[in-house]
Amino acid sequence: MKNYELIEHTADIGIRVRARDLKGVFKNAALAMFDIIAEKKPETSSQKPENIVVEQKAENVEELFVNWLNELLSLSATKELIFNEFKIKKIDEHNLETEVEGEPIKNYRVNTEIKAATYHALKIEKSKSGWQAEVILDV
Amino acid sequence: MSDLWQGTLEKIDDYRWRIPKSCKAGMRVPGVIYADEKLLKDIFKDKAMEQVANVAFLPGIVNASLAMPDIHWGYGFPIGGVAATDIDNGGVISPGGVGFDINCGVRLLKTNFQHDEIKNKIKDLVYALFSDIPAGVGSKGDIRVSAREEKEILVKGAKWAVEKGYGTQEDLECTEEYGAIQGADPLVVSDRAYERGKAQSGTLGSGNHFLEIQVIDQLYDRDLCDEFGLTLGQITIMIHSGSRGLGYQVCDDYTKSMIRCLSKYNINVPDRQLACAPVNSEEGKRYLGAMKCAANYAWANRQCLMYLTRKVFEKVFGMSWQKMGMQLIYDVAHNIAKIEKHIVNGKEKTLCIHRKGATRAFAAGHPALPQRYKKTGQPVIIPGDMGRNSYLLVGTQKAMEETFGTTCHGAGRLKSRTAATRTINVDTLLKELESKGIIVKATGRGTIVEEAPEAYKDVNEVVNVVHNAGISKRVCRMRPLGVIKG
Repeated sequence: MKNYELIEHTADIGIRVRARDLKGVFKNAALAMFDIIAEKKPETSSQKPENIVVEQKAENVEELFVNWLNELLSLSATKELIFNEFKIKKIDEHNLETEVEGEPIKNYRVNTEIKAATYHALKIEKSKSGWQAEVILDV
Repeated sequence: MSDLWQGTLEKIDDYRWRIPKSCKAGMRVPGVIYADEKLLKDIFKDKAMEQVANVAFLPGIVNASLAMPDIHWGYGFPIGGVAATDIDNGGVISPGGVGFDINCGVRLLKTNFQHDEIKNKIKDLVYALFSDIPAGVGSKGDIRVSAREEKEILVKGAKWAVEKGYGTQEDLECTEEYGAIQGADPLVVSDRAYERGKAQSGTLGSGNHFLEIQVIDQLYDRDLCDEFGLTLGQITIMIHSGSRGLGYQVCDDYTKSMIRCLSKYNINVPDRQLACAPVNSEEGKRYLGAMKCAANYAWANRQCLMYLTRKVFEKVFGMSWQKMGMQLIYDVAHNIAKIEKHIVNGKEKTLCIHRKGATRAFAAGHPALPQRYKKTGQPVIIPGDMGRNSYLLVGTQKAMEETFGTTCHGAGRLKSRTAATRTINVDTLLKELESKGIIVKATGRGTIVEEAPEAYKDVNEVVNVVHNAGISKRVCRMRPLGVIKG
């Protein structure tokens, strides 16, 4: 089962993710984004994944969230990788330390190009059961 | 879906509607929407109207926050939004008013062929174009450049391509800004942006980008058609692409830094994606310099795509592109900010014109136009969806007076991609298009569904509005025969 919901948007794609903690929201949003971008080809042989350290700083949690997603998109484009594992080592509302794992894009069938995550209608908030985030992705 | 817009809307005339300044506290000018009653019904269904009102918050905005009839919900600005800010009066520039795909635009070229002559060759052409033109997500081209050369592209734009032998001087004359906007500063483009742009020159990209073989199916203005050398049944080619990853990175880099400017310059906007800075501030100048680099990259890209298209035609027909009359009619940007002079309340002002999904449409006689179009007015190219039509228009004096020389940019989306994917079957759609004589080749089947005609407004209705409102004038209409998509 997918761990995100799509939000209707005329031109772009919106996603809503939930998790028990902030770590989970950041991880689920990244998983959702790459799930929209590509799916693994069944016939590809398993390869040693490439690990990359991703660190971000921001003035608030919303900006940290958008920066995180945009950094992943940017790295995915330049390194030609699809990321599928996200180890969030340290997170608070201003700092993020992670190690992400990616596989060559050729092992994937690419469905959608996401240009960027936007600040429009961005929400990231604590709820009774944990954290929830909504973001519009420009496609 | 119920209407999301519950605010006030005043009817000015059959094609113009006003959101009064009093609608939302913080609006500096009213909103003006170009639409008819039918299109307005769809516009009410998403958040586009609210976004028109939000744009009216931008410091220095003059006259009105404008929206073209193809308006729909975007991020920050609505798609189809136009805003002019007075740069000598604190006017701002907003990366969100240009978008991630900086200088996404279209070019139209003609041929000497009549549809009847090459009817049986369309399939061959589509397959050959699809095989020779890199398309799809993250597609890379054969036109590889060094880091030094990439810098040159950012400054010289399409001129770089012409110097490499990928076109002629005449192509540059037939491109907005002659294919190279002045003032591009490669030093303010991040290393990451360079890296993202490195391998993507001469690539179509994905999403709504396309290359189409078309036939002219209706003439509206015989004199203008004669001027442009266009007749009924003539084959044309349309190319829609932008600045690819380089533009996305420039927008991302500068949106990030301009969010800091909101507090620094005490700017109040209701959406962070409208982050902006005064055009004359250090931050504003840097963004403008970087945006121009991405714009030039896009012009070089469309020039390379046209070169590859001409090569494919040469291969298929065994004669030179010159002999086939494959001349560029014009190339327009529809996601860009420009510094232009316009008359505001009787006085000439230097304005920063944001066109977010809107096309420049300068009237005859404008100094920015090349000699060949001084008499006709600027050619304006309006792509539609892959099943209906596209248009060639020209700019008018009314556009100069009302919309800072601007008109619509396309059909405008109607249905979300998710809704299209839910309700449309790809095989049925392809059969339907084939029965209309349209061959489609795409790298992804998903793209075909997302870009299905029913996901778009009817471009004929959109163009009716801009024509009847007088902000541009119909020249002729095309319909697609072959479509290549990413």
